[in-house]
Amino acid sequence: MLAIEPSLLIEYVLLIAISGAFICAAVHFMPVGGAPAAMAQATGIGTGTVELAAGSGLVGLITASYMYANEPEASMVLVVAAGAMGSMIMLASAMFSGSLIYAFGVGVPFASAQVKKDPITGDRQDLYMSKGTQGHGIPTICFVSGIIGAALGGAGGGLIYFTLMQIYTPLIAASAAAVAGVFTMGVFYVNAVIPSYGVGGTIEGIHDPKFKRVIGKDIFTSFAISLICGIVAVLIAQGMVA
Amino acid sequence: MVLDLTMSMAILALMGALATIAGCLEDLESDVGSQSNPNSQVQLAPQMGFLHRIYNKAVSGEPVSNGLSAVVAGTVTSVLLSQNYYSLTAIVIGAFVGAIILAIYATTSYAGRVASQARFKQPLYMDIMRYTTPTIMAHNFIMNFCLVAICYIQYEILGYPFTIPFLALIWGISAGAIGSSVGDVHYGGEREFQNREFGCGLNTALSGRIVRKAESGIRNSIDNVWFCAKFGGPVTGLALGLTVFFSSWPTTIWGYTWTAVGVGILIVLVFIILNRLLEISVRDAYGPYKEEKNEKEAKA
Repeated sequence: MLAIEPSLLIEYVLLIAISGAFICAAVHFMPVGGAPAAMAQATGIGTGTVELAAGSGLVGLITASYMYANEPEASMVLVVAAGAMGSMIMLASAMFSGSLIYAFGVGVPFASAQVKKDPITGDRQDLYMSKGTQGHGIPTICFVSGIIGAALGGAGGGLIYFTLMQIYTPLIAASAAAVAGVFTMGVFYVNAVIPSYGVGGTIEGIHDPKFKRVIGKDIFTSFAISLICGIVAVLIAQGMVA
Repeated sequence: MVLDLTMSMAILALMGALATIAGCLEDLESDVGSQSNPNSQVQLAPQMGFLHRIYNKAVSGEPVSNGLSAVVAGTVTSVLLSQNYYSLTAIVIGAFVGAIILAIYATTSYAGRVASQARFKQPLYMDIMRYTTPTIMAHNFIMNFCLVAICYIQYEILGYPFTIPFLALIWGISAGAIGSSVGDVHYGGEREFQNREFGCGLNTALSGRIVRKAESGIRNSIDNVWFCAKFGGPVTGLALGLTVFFSSWPTTIWGYTWTAVGVGILIVLVFIILNRLLEISVRDAYGPYKEEKNEKEAKA
């Protein structure tokens, strides 16, 4: 039997559900253009939502786990912040390098199709959009929105990892990190896929009209599904023997 | 293992260098096999009447297939290390097995995809399969070797809590995600439509009308990787190298503290500023595609 108090277990399950909602929200912030963006025919990063969210979030998982391994007494907030930091660095690096390709490899200025003016810089977007495309490149608003998304995704991943370590470490100290890591990855993928349906595969970020339309429903769905993931995470601990 | 600062920085630099090579080769492997989003054009071309001699593998999304070969390489390495193999030998054999597995998927998906296009008369060129598949394997082998070497360093020397296969899976997926979002744009946005004027933008109506003539003769995937190796691949390498370096650098110098997290956020701010500077210079360089209506009216 588990040696953890039931009230604590409920708290852990809720934390996992909140983390899932974080990851789901993260995907909405990321400027994902899908296949059209890979041909510079749409604004954003030229890959899929799940790929990008998982790719950046998992780097966050590595930084969060390393922080936790070296500072087992570290506060939850520090581990979560380490996750957010790793994830942000990965996405910032990928987006900036992508911008280099758009600028010097393809030769297109950065333009958003969803707004007339960039809400941060105030630059006109519509004039810089080439014929027959839905924008191209990564304008400042998309870049900043992506960074916020990465921070949320990395924080979500870090929070799940931290929570699972609290559950598994007393039971299987030696392999707790491995089980927690794999489970975190699973929850990450579940919550990266859910918003893909909501946003329809592509979204420009916080300024995209889709953002307001779908984020509420998606976060609720992710919270509910992550709650089930949390319960499963606690249930599998029942069979753990050191 | 506890390391002093100099040694830690040396290891970090080595990891950054390995990641740069891994990122570059990951992107080039996806270009030579034609995978990920730009492959939609290669897939579409025969339907538009553009038959071609380009390899068409697209095992799955790039991060997933890359994660697969990396995790196979990591697992084999881990097994060999447990049998007391010399670490370098274990990593080389692991990377080779990972490359073989990817090659199996590549050949079956190439044959399968082309077979499914029989009604569009797209032939399956056996010579393309014969000499492109080993090229895919070669790129993938180097990528696997570099990634598993990073994972080996992280697990054995730096004491990361995850095992080598799991680290390889994570870095494989991340490398694939970066390759898909960075280098593939050079292949999809420029190389596939190279007959268009540089900087004109790609009209959606051009979909599927890929360039089929090479600098000499008919274009194939080897020509594509030759071109992408000049810019797309190295920039992808830069992205992964910076990711690996900067995600560990703050904690290496400032320890596991809030200062390190703060420095990480500062790095991100620098990236935002660099992107903004790039945005301004590109807008000036290429100029607007349309004139503002009011200005037009004023001129009239």
